[in-house]
Amino acid sequence: MIYSVAALPHRIAGAFDALDSPHLNGGQQLAVRYLAVAVVLFLAQVLFGMLSGIQFVAPGFLHGVLDFNVNRMVHINAMVVWLLYGFIGSIYWFLEDESGTEIAGLKWGNVAFYVLTAAVTVVVLVYLLIQTGPGKDASIWFINEGREYIEAPRWADIGIVAVMLVFFYNVAGTFMKGRWSGIAGVLTLDLVALAGLYVAGMFYLTNITADQYWWWWVIHLWVEATWEVLVGCIMAWSLMHLLGARRKIVQTWLYIEVALMFGSGILGLGHHYFWIGTPDYWFSIGGFFSALEPIPLVAMVVHSVYDAGVHNFKSRNHPALAWIIAHTFGNFLGAGVWGFMHTLPQINLYTHGTQWSASHGHLAFFGAYATINIAFFYLAVQKWRGDVWMGGDLPGNGWKWKWALALLNLGVMGMTVALLIAGYEQSFVERAVGGSTWEGYFAAQNQVWFKQAMHWRLLFGLVTTAGVVLLVWDLLTIGKGESRKAPTLTKAA
Amino acid sequence: MIEPVALQDFFVTFFSAAAVILFGAGYAGLFAWARLGNRRHLMPWAYACYATLAIAVYALAQAAHLHGNWTLVTVLMLLGYLLAPHAIWHLCAATHRAEHAEAREVSADQNGENPLSSTAKRKTP
Repeated sequence: MIYSVAALPHRIAGAFDALDSPHLNGGQQLAVRYLAVAVVLFLAQVLFGMLSGIQFVAPGFLHGVLDFNVNRMVHINAMVVWLLYGFIGSIYWFLEDESGTEIAGLKWGNVAFYVLTAAVTVVVLVYLLIQTGPGKDASIWFINEGREYIEAPRWADIGIVAVMLVFFYNVAGTFMKGRWSGIAGVLTLDLVALAGLYVAGMFYLTNITADQYWWWWVIHLWVEATWEVLVGCIMAWSLMHLLGARRKIVQTWLYIEVALMFGSGILGLGHHYFWIGTPDYWFSIGGFFSALEPIPLVAMVVHSVYDAGVHNFKSRNHPALAWIIAHTFGNFLGAGVWGFMHTLPQINLYTHGTQWSASHGHLAFFGAYATINIAFFYLAVQKWRGDVWMGGDLPGNGWKWKWALALLNLGVMGMTVALLIAGYEQSFVERAVGGSTWEGYFAAQNQVWFKQAMHWRLLFGLVTTAGVVLLVWDLLTIGKGESRKAPTLTKAA
Repeated sequence: MIEPVALQDFFVTFFSAAAVILFGAGYAGLFAWARLGNRRHLMPWAYACYATLAIAVYALAQAAHLHGNWTLVTVLMLLGYLLAPHAIWHLCAATHRAEHAEAREVSADQNGENPLSSTAKRKTP
C-alpha cells in the first residue's frame, strides 16, 4: 500500500511523459502537459455544470451528497483553472519560437506544473470531501477561503502565486536570453499584472465593502483586462502562424487592442462597485466606462472585414481558424451585446446577480476565452502529430470537428438564451415587483417561466456536453495516420 | 444619483441596449465593406444602421433616465460609435500600407512592368 502511494508520483509523471512527441521542442512538451490537463478540467467543468443544472430542475438530486453550492463552485473554479492552464500552455508553446532560444529554467517550469496540478487536485478533493463545517481561520487556510470564484484555501493561493512567479521567470528569462519582440514585451508586462492582481484577493478584511472592493480587482481586472491582453498575445502569434500574417501588423494591432482594452476595461471595474457600499461616484464611472467597453469590440468588426476583404486567407489549420472566427463572434455577442444590455446602473439595480449575470457569463467566457483555447488545442495537435495536414479534405470531411463546433456553439447559445429568459423573469418578479425580499426570491424561483427556462438550460447543457465529448474525441484522433504535411505559408516578416 | 428604470420599460431598456451594439456592429461592418473595393452603394445602408443606432440610443436614454450628467454617456455613445469605424479604418489602411505596396511591386514584377525588378531586367533586351 505504502509502496503504491510512494510510486504514484512516478506513475503520474510517466503518464505525462507518454504525451511527449519528437516533433516538439522543450517548451512545447511542457505546453502539451498543460493543454492535456486543461482538457480534463474542461470536462470536469461541464460535468459539474450538468449536475448543477439538474439540481435546478430536481432540487433533491444528490442533496446531502454533493450539494448545489459545491457543484457550482467546482463548475466555476474548473472553468477558471482550465482557461488558465490553456493560456499558460499556449504561452509555453510559442515561447521558444518567439524568443529564438531555449526556455530559461525549463526544469523549474516542469516542477511548477506538477506542483500546480497536485495542488488543484488536492483543492478539488477537499471541496468534495469537506462540504460543510465551521468557518474558522483554519478553514480559510486549509479548506475554503469563502470568496466566490476564488475559493481556493490560502495555502493553495500562495502556491498559485509561486507557480506564477516561476512561469514569469520562464517567460521573462527566456526573452532576456533570446530576443525581445512586441508580443514578448506586452506578454511580460501582462504577467506582472496577472500575478500582482491575484495578491489583491489573498487578504481578508472584516468590512465586507472593503473586502469586495479588492476582490473585484482579481475578478474584473483579471478577466476584463489581463486575460484579454493574454488572449491578444496568443491571437497575435496564432495569426502569424496560422495565416502567415505579418509581425509588424499583428504587433501594431496588439498595441491598439491593449490601449483600447485597458482604456475602457480598467475603470469599467466601476460596474461591479454599484451595490457593494462604495460611494455614488462609481455609478457615473461604471456607467461611463461600461458604455465605452463595447466600442473596441465594434471597432474590431472593421478590422475583421478589412482583413477578410483584402487578404485571400489561406489557413493551414481549418479547425483552428473556425474556432478563431467563433471567438470573434462569441466575444462580440457575449461580452459586448450581453454585457451592455444590463450594465447601466439604472437597469443593473434589478439584474445584478440574477440569471442575467449567468447568461452573460456563459456566453462571454465561452466566446472570449474557451474558443481561443480550443483553437490552440488544434494548433498544438497539428504539430504534435508532426505538422500534418489539417486543411480541407480531412477524412470524413472533418465531420467531428465541424459537429463539435456546431454543438458547442448551439449548446452555449441555447443555455445563454434560456438563462436570459430566467434572468428577465427574476429581475421582474423578484427584484422589481418583489422588492428583493425573501418572498420575492421564492416567487421568482417558482414562476413558470423560470422553471421552463431551467429545463431548456439543461437540454442545451446536454447539447454542450455532447459537443465537448465530440471535441475530445476529435482532438484524440484528428491527424492520426495522416501522411500529408501542412502547407508552408509565407514567412511572417 | 440614478433613477431606476420603470417596470414597464424593462423590455425597451434591454432591447434598445442590445440594438445599440448590434446596429453599431452593422454600421461598422457595412462601413468597412463599402470602403473596401469602393462599394459606394453600401454606404447609405451603413448610415441607415447608424441612424437606427441613434434611435436606439434615444430610446435607451429615455427608458434608463439618462438625464443631467448622464447625457454625457448618451453623447459619448453617439460619437464613439460614429467615429470608431472611421478611426479603425484609417488604422487598418495605415498598418497594411507597406504590405499593399509590396504586393503591388510583386504583381508588377510578375507582369514585367517594374523596370527595376530583377525579372523585368532579365526580360529587357
